[in-house]
Amino acid sequence: MNPTTTPIESAGLPEVHQPEQSTSAANNVLSIAGVVIKEMYRRKDFYVLFVLTALITLVMGSVTFFNQDNIVRYLKEICLFFIWGAALVITITAAARQIPAEREQRTLFPLLAKPVTRSQFVLGKFFGCWFASGLSLLLFYVFFGVVAGAKEHAWPVLNYFQAMVLHWFMLGIVCALTVLGSIVFAAPSSTNTITLIASVGILLVGRHLNKVALRLEEPGQTLLYAIYFAIPHLELFDVRDLIVHNWGLIRWEIWAGALAYAAVYSAIFLALACLLFRHKAVN
Amino acid sequence: MRTYLLAIALLMVLAVSLATSLEPWFQNWAGSRTKSDNLLQVALGDSRRLFARHFFTRADVYFHNGYYPTIYDSKAGFEEAHVGESVHRHGDAEEEVEDFLGKPRDWIDRFGRNFYPARHTHLGDSGCGHSCCQRAKEYNGHDENCEHKDHEEGHDHKEEASGQPGLEREILPWFRLSAELDPQRVETYVIASYWLRTKLNQVNEAETFLREGLRANPGDYELLFELGRIFHENRKDVVRARNVLELALRNWREREGAKPEPNVFLGIQILNHLALLEREQQNYPRAIEHYTLLKQLSPNKELVQAWIDYLKTNGPPIAAPQLQPR
Repeated sequence: MNPTTTPIESAGLPEVHQPEQSTSAANNVLSIAGVVIKEMYRRKDFYVLFVLTALITLVMGSVTFFNQDNIVRYLKEICLFFIWGAALVITITAAARQIPAEREQRTLFPLLAKPVTRSQFVLGKFFGCWFASGLSLLLFYVFFGVVAGAKEHAWPVLNYFQAMVLHWFMLGIVCALTVLGSIVFAAPSSTNTITLIASVGILLVGRHLNKVALRLEEPGQTLLYAIYFAIPHLELFDVRDLIVHNWGLIRWEIWAGALAYAAVYSAIFLALACLLFRHKAVN
Repeated sequence: MRTYLLAIALLMVLAVSLATSLEPWFQNWAGSRTKSDNLLQVALGDSRRLFARHFFTRADVYFHNGYYPTIYDSKAGFEEAHVGESVHRHGDAEEEVEDFLGKPRDWIDRFGRNFYPARHTHLGDSGCGHSCCQRAKEYNGHDENCEHKDHEEGHDHKEEASGQPGLEREILPWFRLSAELDPQRVETYVIASYWLRTKLNQVNEAETFLREGLRANPGDYELLFELGRIFHENRKDVVRARNVLELALRNWREREGAKPEPNVFLGIQILNHLALLEREQQNYPRAIEHYTLLKQLSPNKELVQAWIDYLKTNGPPIAAPQLQPR
């Protein structure tokens, strides 16, 4: 029996607890993450979406309304809309294909045969996708900042920093959810679809579920309110309206609280993913 | 093989025959979109009116700096687009009515309000929307006890004072888009023209946009009234203003006269503006004629009569008829 591919045996592999093990585990995770990042910049997804976003933004930016050349908010809204759409697509498609691709190409077996645990493998994939989405976000936001600054002649760098980091942490939740989905669902296509629908659904109605719940009869009210408290509120990280309409900075302690909220949900989804993957047959 | 070829030839002949009979019918069909040279109209059909309404609402959303009720929120105080009101009320009672968010329902709601616009403000409102700041914007200075007195960040007072085009420019793209999608929506032209000529000092653009509206809605009295105001208030061209306003009055009578519930408010505005113009020109008999007509429509008949008496006797009026500004 192959201990690498049989779940019970694999899960029962002795986990060596030595002082250097934590360093070694971090190295394993980072090595796997590094491979994912390299794969991401070799693929064309990001470049296509970036060029599309840039092209549409620049074309829209070239339009003049009533001879006013410093109208900028509509342009910021369009650009941020495309950035959010592109970031979601990049993150979900990248995270959904990682584990199934390793299984299909049978590169998972030599990887697990090395001193890499299944949890390290899952974490490596997650961090790879998350860092890669962070890199793409950085480029997107630099482009956004340059376009908005050129039209508006204002550089609210801190506001953009807050928005970008919040966006990145939101993608962390989505990424962890997608990795979990890629273990649960049979094919990357179903993971892509389900995660995308769930994420967009939360972004659109997550904030309003409590209002809808209050108009329902029992037990619908309690049920919907429970869902409202259970789901990760991705819309908290969507500060596009604050950026578009030039509102002030979010208080830093509130901002840090939101990041902690994202970290908790990401950790929950990752823990579930690790747990499921440990008990899953990979052959 | 021969049978197949013959069948294909027969089908082709049938297709051509059908096309020759259907094409003239399609060209004359009332529902054909090919008559329009507007790409949006061809692509979207009548659904473009829905999009036009949506984009008009977007202008109101921008006017509120993103603070706007969704379909899940109470619309109290937001039934009418505030962007269509030149002087938006700024009392505490109004602010309370327009606070559609209410008190936070739970900790997520409370926490979440830090991440989206959760305070009622308007573009060019000095950034905070407080009634005191509104007065400051109107060059009356802040109240001594106002908590916003020292709050300069985000204020637009200097830009307002300099006479440079203000932040209201940000709503313009949505008006343009709304007008492109539904050229028959008169409100779009009137409100855009109002902001262009008053807050943005772009009288030429306002006139051009109104003329565009008149091409799509020939003889519309609301557009003519707005055009008349441009000639009177901005261009100081009394002759053209009088001609356009009289045409607006004539068209208003023609279109609204037969209606069971005519748009009296606009009729009052046109007549009041005509009377004002004649008063300024010291053409009192004509002004009295307009006031006499106005008296029939106005709910403040005593005040209108006071003006008539004043113009007849040159005595002081009791008070000027105060009409609600647009």
